Amino acid sequence: MTRLAHLWDQSRCIACGACIAACNAANYGSTGRVNKTWGWLASNIKRVELVRGPRPMLFLVQCQHCDNAPCVAVCPTGASYRDVDGLVKIKPELCIGCKYCMVACPYEARWLDEESGLPRKCMGEECLSRVKAGLEPVCVAVCPAGARAFGDLDDPNSAISRRLAQSRYIRLLEGKGTEPKYFVVVGP
Amino acid sequence: MTAFQEIWSPYLIGPFLWLAGIAGMGSVAYVMLARQRVEGYQRLAYALLPAIVLALVFVVADLSRPWNMPGAILSSILGGTFGWVRSWMAVGIALISLGTVLLLFLTLRYIAASSVLVRIVDSTWYGVLLVVVGVLITIYSGFLIAAAPGIPFWNTALIPVLWLLSASVCALALVELLLHHGDVTRQVVRMGVALESAELIAVMALINLALYGGSTAARLSAQALAYGSLAAAFWGGLVGLGVVIPLAIGIVSMKRQSRALTAAAAVLALIGALLLRILVLQAGVFEPIP
Ligand code: SF4
Ligand code: SF4
Repeated sequence: MTRLAHLWDQSRCIACGACIAACNAANYGSTGRVNKTWGWLASNIKRVELVRGPRPMLFLVQCQHCDNAPCVAVCPTGASYRDVDGLVKIKPELCIGCKYCMVACPYEARWLDEESGLPRKCMGEECLSRVKAGLEPVCVAVCPAGARAFGDLDDPNSAISRRLAQSRYIRLLEGKGTEPKYFVVVGP
Repeated sequence: MTAFQEIWSPYLIGPFLWLAGIAGMGSVAYVMLARQRVEGYQRLAYALLPAIVLALVFVVADLSRPWNMPGAILSSILGGTFGWVRSWMAVGIALISLGTVLLLFLTLRYIAASSVLVRIVDSTWYGVLLVVVGVLITIYSGFLIAAAPGIPFWNTALIPVLWLLSASVCALALVELLLHHGDVTRQVVRMGVALESAELIAVMALINLALYGGSTAARLSAQALAYGSLAAAFWGGLVGLGVVIPLAIGIVSMKRQSRALTAAAAVLALIGALLLRILVLQAGVFEPIP
């Protein structure tokens, strides 16, 4: 089986925003259109700042490609589905824009593209075609700090499996039972 | 604080849930009154079709791809991906379509009065179907939001129960407004007092469980309603005007009836049920990460 997944290394991230901008450029043609759902730019990666101590902490949040995805379960038409490669994808031709997937996602990982009416999320079309061609998603390719990885969790030799084997990591909102496949590395 | 959810417009989905409940429990009330041959019960039939059609208008108005709906639904049914038993939205599409057809025939029965229609619509099985579909539509309108795990405040079994109670209050209010006369009013007032008391308890339980439960997001929602930015609308509008005053009028009316007062209580109860849905939707927030 294939279970493609993303990794973001918080301990290496320098918060330059290159991944966010690259997602906007590759998947949304560098549009200046606003992503009103997040009050953000048209990108599938959201920056969440957490101020709990003397220093703010940064989290980059995106679709977790949950193995047990609520967005897939609630979609009335099957427009949101889990593909054989383990990624959660959208079939635009089946989407009626009910936005049920958006309120069902505990990570608020989907945003509404007002032009097409589609709920957008990681991965965008360009990234999906890159992955199909054997390339990395753009956020992984452009990261100057090597803070990102992508690959098959079921392949012990994939980039992501090797990184996970050497790191301490967490998964976000694990208690929700979504079985997320976005790994946040917090240290070696 | 995390922003209130603005994905579903509370001013479109709130009225949708309210009208679906009115059409649903109104159908149950119609069948009960029709069986007892209560004078003027036919009037209720004329109110139910507009309610379900308006519900559809509101829900479609919130879709971001309404033009894609007929094709997508048809393709997903033919392609086997329609979520008949997986998605409450799909269940709702099926139930509301069936409800609309049933209520259309019910209305036509009174307008056209063809003998075939009269025989079908007045049959026992049609009445049973109307009751079952009406109750299911009402319950569905609760499960629709309760089954959205992104918003913890909604994600509770109390919501479908609360929706059922408040939709039943709406159905009684409709009966009161359309068919005011002696015996019926006495029964309606008594049932209204019981249902409004239960509704009040359920609303308080919803807020309390969220205030003292484990989810940060649910607590933020309950705080917004109990003493935050939505408190005035919650206490003044929903609890005060929408539940407590109709309840008080109901208790007084059990002893001494006044047409004007019971009608005012019915209107307030209807407004309260609408406010309940709008406020619960509005108060929803996502769980903060991490
Ligand atoms: S993170 Fe949200 S959008 Fe992505 S798979 Fe999970 S539930 Fe679906
Ligand atoms: S908005 Fe589209 S993808 Fe999301 S649940 Fe509705 S039909 Fe499915």
